Amino acid sequence: MKDYFKYFDKLTFVLLLLLALIGIFLIYSAGFPLQEANYLKQAAFLLFSLVVFFIVFSLKVDFIFRNAFIVYMAILFVLALQIFIGRTVAGTKSWFRMGSMGLQFSEFIKIPLAILLAKAMTRFELIKWKVFFKLIILIAMPVFLIVMQPDLGVSFILCSFIPVVILLKKIKPLVLIVSFLLLIMCGVIGWNSSLLKDYQKNRIISFMNPAKYKTSTGYQIIQSRIAIGSGGLNGKGYLKGSQSQYQFLPARHTDFIVSVIGEELGFISTAILFFIFFVVFYRQFKFKFQSDEEFYFIYLFNGLIIFQFLINVAMAIGFFPVLGISLPFVSYGGSSLLSFFIGEAIIFRIKINSYLT
Amino acid sequence: MYPNKRKLSGEYIKKTAIVAIGILITIFLGIFAAFWHIQIVNNEYFRRLAMQNITRSIELTAPRGLIMDSSGVILAENKINFTLYLVRENVVDMEKTLCLASFFTVKKADTIRRIIARYKKYPQFYRIPIKNSLARGTVIFIESRQEEFPEFEIGIEPTRTYPLGNCAANVLGYISEISEAELSSKEWHGYGLGDFIGRSGIEKQYEPYLQGMKGSQIVIKDNLGKIQKVQSVVNPVKGATVVLTLDLELQKFIEGLFVDQSGAVGVVDLQTGGILAMVSKPDFNPEIFSQEMEMEQWLALSNDPQKPLQNKFLQGIYSPGSVFKIIMALAGLQEKIIGLATVVHCSGSQNFYGREFHCWNPNGHGAMDIFSALQNSCNIFFYNLGQRLDIDTIASYARFMGLGNESGIDMPNENTGLVPSSAWKMQAFRKRWFPGETISVAIGHGSLNVTPVQMLKMIATVALRGRMPHLHLMQRIERQGEKIAEFTPEFTQVPIATENFQVVVEGLFRVVNYEGTGRAAKIEGLDICGKTGTSQIIAKENPKYKTLTKEKRFMPNSWFVSFAPKVNPRLAMVVLVENGGDAGAIAAPLAAQIYKKYFANERLF
Repeated sequence: MKDYFKYFDKLTFVLLLLLALIGIFLIYSAGFPLQEANYLKQAAFLLFSLVVFFIVFSLKVDFIFRNAFIVYMAILFVLALQIFIGRTVAGTKSWFRMGSMGLQFSEFIKIPLAILLAKAMTRFELIKWKVFFKLIILIAMPVFLIVMQPDLGVSFILCSFIPVVILLKKIKPLVLIVSFLLLIMCGVIGWNSSLLKDYQKNRIISFMNPAKYKTSTGYQIIQSRIAIGSGGLNGKGYLKGSQSQYQFLPARHTDFIVSVIGEELGFISTAILFFIFFVVFYRQFKFKFQSDEEFYFIYLFNGLIIFQFLINVAMAIGFFPVLGISLPFVSYGGSSLLSFFIGEAIIFRIKINSYLT
Repeated sequence: MYPNKRKLSGEYIKKTAIVAIGILITIFLGIFAAFWHIQIVNNEYFRRLAMQNITRSIELTAPRGLIMDSSGVILAENKINFTLYLVRENVVDMEKTLCLASFFTVKKADTIRRIIARYKKYPQFYRIPIKNSLARGTVIFIESRQEEFPEFEIGIEPTRTYPLGNCAANVLGYISEISEAELSSKEWHGYGLGDFIGRSGIEKQYEPYLQGMKGSQIVIKDNLGKIQKVQSVVNPVKGATVVLTLDLELQKFIEGLFVDQSGAVGVVDLQTGGILAMVSKPDFNPEIFSQEMEMEQWLALSNDPQKPLQNKFLQGIYSPGSVFKIIMALAGLQEKIIGLATVVHCSGSQNFYGREFHCWNPNGHGAMDIFSALQNSCNIFFYNLGQRLDIDTIASYARFMGLGNESGIDMPNENTGLVPSSAWKMQAFRKRWFPGETISVAIGHGSLNVTPVQMLKMIATVALRGRMPHLHLMQRIERQGEKIAEFTPEFTQVPIATENFQVVVEGLFRVVNYEGTGRAAKIEGLDICGKTGTSQIIAKENPKYKTLTKEKRFMPNSWFVSFAPKVNPRLAMVVLVENGGDAGAIAAPLAAQIYKKYFANERLF
């Protein structure tokens, strides 16, 4: 037990906790004009997530990896079930209501998918056609089900696994070219089919030309940029941001939480927040491990968090379309918080194992 | 624990970590740079946009200044009125909004569309007034469901009201909304669409004083356009109060004398030149202009043959008829063409330049001197005088007495009338003046035209024996109890000898008191001097004269100019009844009633 404490990555854990607390602090401000109690829910989620974190941390990595496929299939089943019987909340069926708290199952697929990909990656060096199709099927099944929810954000995030796999492995040039063409084809088909809803298309169109869509989705980008830009060096003060408090800023507690800190607390505080993220990410790449699949898992899962972080921040300053992607650990959303803490628990366990044996 | 599971080489792991950390550093440097650029470099720009998002400036209409009579009775004030505004930036679906607006205002959607189109150049957050005097029920309905109609706002605005209705309507004038054409001219700098301006009367004359100063309010609004708080207020400054010389009691009394006749009356205080009453009949209710007027209402007013919107006292032009004999007498005496001993024999008619000219009395007046000629208004005496005075001399005396020019009273849109002269005829008709025309002018006919205010100024000058008063309606202007302007009486001397005025005054005294044409104006105890004038609409020489004059509209206009008392005169007056017929019977008794009313309090009788 003493060793557990000694080798536990205390700094990273404290920083993660800090991120979540900053999140609650910002969610309070975001909900302030309408007196929403989201911050209390998020605090409850955080407590729950910490409990789950330590439960997962106490499990053997081997046990988790062995059961990943069952979990993966179970989640796919739930997702498929939701499409048929799921209740529609805010236009999407991705929320599965459990009491007063909804669970977004699509968030949880990240972990078993990363594990399955990591396991698969131990079995090949070069991505050939056979491997390629195996990987595609593994990723495409959840992506497809989540797009059907429809939740563009999470399905887009899952696709971030592909470049990580390609970067860690070698790939046949022909496969790369074909997969690239396939990607474009998917995009074109997706665009023209009814799979993408009009509002989702609008988000992408309005990203190209936000001024033209002042009242619709381009509006969100414009207001977010105004919020961040008007914050300046020191910000307008906590609970004093006009963009947040007079509700010009949309989705303040989720997608645009960065805009809240940017406006109310300014560049210095925003930079500190980013620096915390940087330290967390940096520390996750310096680790010891006992099997290759653990190595791959850590890279895949960290890649996903970094990707999600980057997309969210880029979206807030108008460098990326609004796809409904939240800021890891900070944005409001219990399922997202929980899934990230589960993932981190596995990573923490992997890192500590090499010291204990 | 995991014996054979680790196969990756240490070099590979190291290389991968370096690449990953390299990518990580690049990403973060990019993000820091992007945030630096947007938050620090462009901070001012975004700060301004954020302010524009939340702050809105609302214009606060200044209440117009009051108009009072000399005793402080309010003639024009403001009442609270609910105005419906439309804010374009809060409109989601214009067609739906137009439909709602049409429902609230009982106007056609196209009408509202036109109103909105006029404000094209105004910012999207500008509050466009689409209806004033909104029904109270509509106000409550919209206010209670403000969340549903964010594009509509209700404002409390002052509107002009005239508590005495039609009373003194033509003195006060009216106000109406400024037009786009006017806004583009320099004259109306500082005004905006939706503002009201004085169109006539005192409202127009003293517009700069009455107008007041607009205020403004800066409010903080949320994204739904709901006002969160008021950041700063600059209160509007109410316009200045204009106090008139008008004696409301007298004004009302005179207005009451006109039942269905049209005409004009003016009464001046000879001590100051201040107008005590100015009546123009028929009149109108100026308040209908402060509200939105129906087309039919406007057409009915502007097409009325009796011209209620015209201030006949200042704008009506008429032949002065026999009233002009006063000026003829003054000219004759001053030019020494006649004297007190001059006698002309009137036999009812006389031939001048080969044409027969008639006296109004076909039997003739017999031997007439200047006093009896005025007393009986003998045409033959003045024909002879006219023959011996040339038209240009007559014209210059007419001008001395204020004819052919604006009286200079503090009212807009005054007419000048016309004083004919040989130069005028040459210019207007390219023809020489015929001496025969002078004969007609000598009794106030021909091309001669005057306004009632000119006649009032003329008779006032006679009363003051050559001191011509400057007529005025404004007594003083006050802003917050402080006097900012005041009228001081002004008199100018007419180049006619005082003794000649004394002769004419004696003649005018006889008109009323020696069984003259104005005997109906006689009052025991008050020495009234006056002169009647019955000016024909159509010439007596017209073969149809007898039949046509039975029609009301061809009946002659009745004049009575007068002043009282004879010595130290205090009041001068002009009464004109359009198509009244015989002046002695119509206009003179009206004057008597007005004098009685005015002097009643002084127990002269």
